[in-house]
Amino acid sequence: MTERIVLEFPSEYSYLNMVDLLCGEIMADMNFTREAKNEISISVIEACTNAMEHGNQCCPEMNVRTVFEKLPDRLLVEVFDYGRGFDFKEYMQHIPDPSDIHKLRGRGIFIMNSMMDVLSFEMLPDGGMKVILEKMIQNNDGKNN
Amino acid sequence: MKLQPKEHDGIVTLHLQGKLMGGPDADVFRGTIYDLIEQGKKKIIVDLRSVNWVNSTGIGILTSAFTTLRKNGGDLKLIHVSEKIQSILYVTKLNLIFECFDSEEEAITSFE
Repeated sequence: MTERIVLEFPSEYSYLNMVDLLCGEIMADMNFTREAKNEISISVIEACTNAMEHGNQCCPEMNVRTVFEKLPDRLLVEVFDYGRGFDFKEYMQHIPDPSDIHKLRGRGIFIMNSMMDVLSFEMLPDGGMKVILEKMIQNNDGKNN
Repeated sequence: MKLQPKEHDGIVTLHLQGKLMGGPDADVFRGTIYDLIEQGKKKIIVDLRSVNWVNSTGIGILTSAFTTLRKNGGDLKLIHVSEKIQSILYVTKLNLIFECFDSEEEAITSFE
């Protein structure tokens, strides 16, 4: 059976702590390595930060919605915002150099893309953006289940 | 985020507490760095022991402070970096930029 957990919260930074804690709870009984759990947690926080800042323009009245699906072989996380979206195809082709020390921002998508097995974006028909993050559970030999 | 400075022989250790991310944190941190530079204090250690978590904007705040200090003839080093922060530094290759130490004493010695 697939477990599905949904959390919706206003676009305020203080709620990110709750997301981090929830991530930890959801992954507690999943067979991820500690490193993988850290990577998932970091990536979900990044996706939520992007949704708040770039999607909802930090407007507290606009919510961020997260949906976690615990599947036998992986964790699937979807993060929704209600903003105008952005040209992710163009962005993905020209991801800025994350080691550029002169950049204050622009590392979030690179981090998510590096840490997750699947990162994709979907424009929603009624406006807003859905970010899909997936991490596979690996066997002891490093292969995906 | 809470920020507590402590000085030792011209080297300032900034103890951060809480979360390091966007919003007002960036202004507080940037303001503190500029104040220290004005006071001639340009050797900075950032203690991340009590930072629960950090996002990419938080990493951007650290790199911005690093470049500001370097431009002014100073330096910034990190101590007590958690696993999560280390993995962000590693994946962004910023581990090649930031010097990280396990203790304040080691970081202080590295300035000599």
